[in-house]
Order: sequence, then structure tokens, then C-alpha cells
Amino acid sequence: MPHIDNDVKLDFKDVLLRPKRSTLKSRSEVDLTRSFSFRNSKQMYTGIPIIAANMDTVGTFEMAKVLCKHLAASSGMGSSDFEQLEQILEAVPQVKYICLDVANGYSEHFVEFVKDVRKRFPKHTIMAGNVVTGEMVEELILSGADIIKVGIGPGSVCTTRKKTGVGYPQLSAVMECADAAHGLKGHIISDGGCSCPGDVAKAFGAGADFVMLGGMLAGHNESGGELIERDGKKYKLFYGMSSEMAMKKYAGGVAEYRASEGKTVEVPFKGDVDHTIRDILGGIRSTCTYVGAAKLKELSRRTTFIRVTQQVNPIFSDDS
Amino acid sequence: MSCSDPSEAASGAEPRWAPSKAAVRVDLERTFTFRNSKQTYSGIPIIVANMDTVGTFEMAAVMSQHSMFTAIHKHYALDEWKLFAANHPECLPHVAVSSGSGKSDLEKMSSILEAVPQVKFICLDVANGYSEHFVEFVKLVRATFPEHTIMAGNVVTGEMVEELILSGADIIKVGVGPGSVCTTRTKTGVGYPQLSAVIECADSAHGLKGHIISDGGCTCPGDVAKAFGAGADFVMLGGMFSGHTECAGEVIEKNGQKLKLFYGMSSETAMKKHAGGVAEYRASEGKTVEVPYKGDVENTILDILGGLRSTCTYVGAAKLKELSRRATFIRVTQQHNTVFS
Repeated sequence: MPHIDNDVKLDFKDVLLRPKRSTLKSRSEVDLTRSFSFRNSKQMYTGIPIIAANMDTVGTFEMAKVLCKHLAASSGMGSSDFEQLEQILEAVPQVKYICLDVANGYSEHFVEFVKDVRKRFPKHTIMAGNVVTGEMVEELILSGADIIKVGIGPGSVCTTRKKTGVGYPQLSAVMECADAAHGLKGHIISDGGCSCPGDVAKAFGAGADFVMLGGMLAGHNESGGELIERDGKKYKLFYGMSSEMAMKKYAGGVAEYRASEGKTVEVPFKGDVDHTIRDILGGIRSTCTYVGAAKLKELSRRTTFIRVTQQVNPIFSDDS
Repeated sequence: MSCSDPSEAASGAEPRWAPSKAAVRVDLERTFTFRNSKQTYSGIPIIVANMDTVGTFEMAAVMSQHSMFTAIHKHYALDEWKLFAANHPECLPHVAVSSGSGKSDLEKMSSILEAVPQVKFICLDVANGYSEHFVEFVKLVRATFPEHTIMAGNVVTGEMVEELILSGADIIKVGVGPGSVCTTRTKTGVGYPQLSAVIECADSAHGLKGHIISDGGCTCPGDVAKAFGAGADFVMLGGMFSGHTECAGEVIEKNGQKLKLFYGMSSETAMKKHAGGVAEYRASEGKTVEVPYKGDVENTILDILGGLRSTCTYVGAAKLKELSRRATFIRVTQQHNTVFS
């Protein structure tokens, strides 16, 4: 039966964080590193929990080199192809993370796949997704995944919502999935939907353990793809991994029976990613001082969201 | 009611039957007696923001003719203050000296207040008024200057308004992120819709006989009227006063158009100018824009005051003081007819 869920679900743009009393004197006092012990792999990880998305444009080795300096974060090793995965992990045993990424994390087939990978690699930390609801987060964690990727359709170059009408507002998805995961001592990644440092802060505030970024890291020196020059302006290509562009590149084209669920955009070239990362980390440190969180870990405990009708004063936004 | 910003949801006060005659007769002056300093002040309670582009001595010279107020930015040297005090003694009751919570700011402010004792207002301005460190700082300034009127902020919630008033502040600056060149909301996700913040903070302040300033978010005279209607005792404006002759900086000509620079005080432009750059651990929280040059600020002042008087006649308030008592807000989906915009 068709059913309408009348609960209001919210996106990042619908809320702001309420400032709270704080004993911090400076943004420099805020510690953004976190330590996690993963439920199934029993591995430990310490670092700033921001992840470059496993997209061929931003999840590059060059990006990983820069992020290591700042974040010690691992770029997702993207491959759901079992054999290729085995080969890579045998060749490079130092890689301890596996990112299992499918468009629809709700299929029984995917659950079986997660179980197979867990059996084959008992000590690797497995990220799996994407899903947007608590019961599926629980299912994947119980099937052997450590960190669940949350988000369907929020990405800047994702057209799933348009092409299929399926999706879930990202802020609500993160809050509900974090609750489900933390109850089982699992973790989640908020994947997609962040358009500015404030959105990253809201994702952490909503309970995300990690935040994955694609579009915000696109268009840099370290991003994949060539630099394009047109009318004296520099651009880089950025596209969704289900876009026609990506499917042509890796699958020889869009199969007859499916539509592309991503788009291709030219983003203005932004230079070294270092500057963007400093901007993101500086923004989150400032958020933490506003709500009185000395560590990133405390941010979600100190978070109260206010529902809003407008994010910013738009009077000068044409000039920016 | 739900939270909303002035420009989007809550709008124009509902017209009421007005016994009033002409807008000309509306009295925009208010007289306040401040809770902690015990000082009394009379004037039109509109304040030019303490930004280095608009909070200038030139601006103060024009504002004081209308008995409007200027929070002078904190980057003038002591000698510049002395010269201003000698040339414009009539302005001094209508200006404040600004300071952050740093030690060097405090020392400079103290030397200015000593050299120019006619200045009776202090504006203590930090990005995050929620830090315990700032509360201690307000107490220290109150102890040092028992008879000066202290403005302090910024905050957006009632409990922090109360805390700062009880710590010695007289007037609390309300607003986190609404400003036109402020990017705090995109950089940090932190903020509070300005109209709701003013309504809630005014309620807290007035209960303790304190006062508030609505700081930021006004884009047109109607927004200024809404801020007063919501209970603000003072309204502080930055962007609306930008781009005038009295603003700091040169007039730039580009493609035959005259422009002036305007930027947030945490923007990269401001940090480069006053702090030698953006520190490694932080992000800039402001932007820089080129605004069309608008000539003398006098016209803009008359436009704002004319709008405000008209608001008062629509809702039947003979004095600005009555505006908030006569204000009923209607939630709307559109501000104005967009067919020719």
C-alpha cells in the first residue's frame, strides 16, 4: 500500500547549530582527532575523520598524500569486484580498509557480499553502503561491516533523486542511522550533501563518526582529470560514478536497461587542496568553540539544531 | 512560533487603526537609563557597526547631527582619537570605543577613555560571546569602568543575555551570522534566525532592565522596522551604511561603475590588514564585496528614518517606543511583488 510518512525529515540547509556556553578561549584549543575501535575488525584508528570520496575524480592517490599530512585519513579503496579486491589487498597488505560501495545497499545480494568479504578478510575494517535507515544499518553491521555509509542521492553530482524519486534528507538520515549504529557499537559515515564547511559541522553534530566529501574536494590540483581552459577560466571535470561519463570510462557505456544516475559538471579550478582543507578544519574548530566542545567527539553531545527558513543573508550573494 | 529570519518568513506588521496624523509627527527618539552604568541616553537608537569600513569618524560626524549613534571601530590610534575629540566635541556623546577581549585591545581602549573622558560608551565585541573567558572580561571592564555604559556581544539566546547583563553589561549585542558579509553560518553551521533571536533576547534583557541591540541581518528600512517591532532597543547596521562617502577606503571605478569595498571583520581582507593574515588553525568567517557607490550617507539616513516613521503610522505608534507594543507579525511567503525586479 502506498503510505505517506508525515514526519518532517530535514536536510543540512534546514537547520543551524545553537551556540552554547563554553570555556574555550581560542579555536586553536579544539582537538579534531578522534580514536575509534571498530566493532568487527577490532582495529583501532586515530585521525581527523574526514574522508575523500571513492570517486575517480577525488579519491586519487595524490589527494591521499595531502590528506595524510592533515587528516591521516584513508581514501576509500573502492572496488566491489571481489577478485580485484583480493589481488590489491594481497599486493599491499598495509591497506587495512575496504570500502564496499554499491548504489543500493538494500539488496539481499549485497548483504551476502558483505558476509563473504568479512569471512575472507576477518581483520580488515569494512565500510559498506549506501543506506539511509536504521534497520539496514543494523543488518549490515550484524553482517560484518564496521562502518556504514549513509546517504542516498544527496551528492552534488548525483541524480538518483531525479531519476528514481528515491532518497532521504541527509540530516535526518544521519541522526537516525547514527543512533542505530552506535547502539551496536558500530560507526557511520555521512556520505554526500555537504556543500560548505558548515554542513560538515552539522553532519558531525548530527552524530556522524566520519564525513565523506566529494564535490567540496573537486577541482583541485590533486583531483583526477585534466585542467580545461575556456575564456581564460580554468576548470576541472567532476562527475558522479553512475554518470554517463563514468560508465563510458569503466563499463563501455550505459547499459540498455538503465539510466545514468549522475551528472558531469565543470568546476572552477581551485588550486591546491591544502587551502580548502584548512578552510574546512578551521570552520569545524570554530563550530566547536561556539557550542563549547573541546574535542570533535563532544560536538554531537553539545549540538542543538534550530530549524530555520534561511541560511544566509543573500543581499550580496551575486558578488561572491 | 517557528524560527525565522526577517526577510523570509515573518513580515510587515499588520496595519492597525491609526489615530495618527502625518508620519512627520512620529517621534523616533528614545531615552534610556542603563541598568549597570546608571547613565541616561537620548537619541535615535540606530548604530553604525564597529567595522573598519563604516564605523569611521567621518560617519560619526554625520550621524550625531541626527542624534544617531556610531560604534567607532577599534583600529584608530590614540592620536587619531584625540584629534577627532578636539575637532568634533559634539559627536562624543554619540560614539562608543570598541575593543575585543585581548589584552592589547583593552590597554588601547583604556588609554582612549582616559584621554577622551567625554566618551561614555564601550563596545565589547567578540565573535563568540558564549565563552566563559568573555564573561570574565566583561566583569573586569565593569570593575575598571563603573560608570561607562557597556555594550557586549554577540549572543543569540536568552540565558546568555542574562549572564552578560548580570556580569555588568548594559546593552547586549544580538546576532550570530546574519550579516551581509558574514560567512559564519556557511563556515561553521552555527547561527540563529535573527527575528526570533531578537524577540527572545529582548524578553530576557527587559526582564532584568537591560537592553539589546539587533546586530546584523537588516537589508532594507523595513527590516530595521521589524527589528524594533520585535523588541530591539537599538538596531546596528553595517551593509546598509556601506558604499558611502563617509566610509573608509577609496572609490574604485570599474567599467564606468563606481564601487567601494566592504568586508566582514573576520574576512581574509580584514585579517590581512590588521593581523597579518589568516592564522593556520582558523578559517576566514567573512567575505569581501564591492558595493555600488551611493554618495553621501545623508540620503540613506533619511530613507531609513522615513521608512521607520511610516511603519509607526501604519501600526499607530506615535513614538518609536510604542512600536513593539503595537507590532503583530504576520508570517508570509513572499515579501514583495517580484514582477518588475
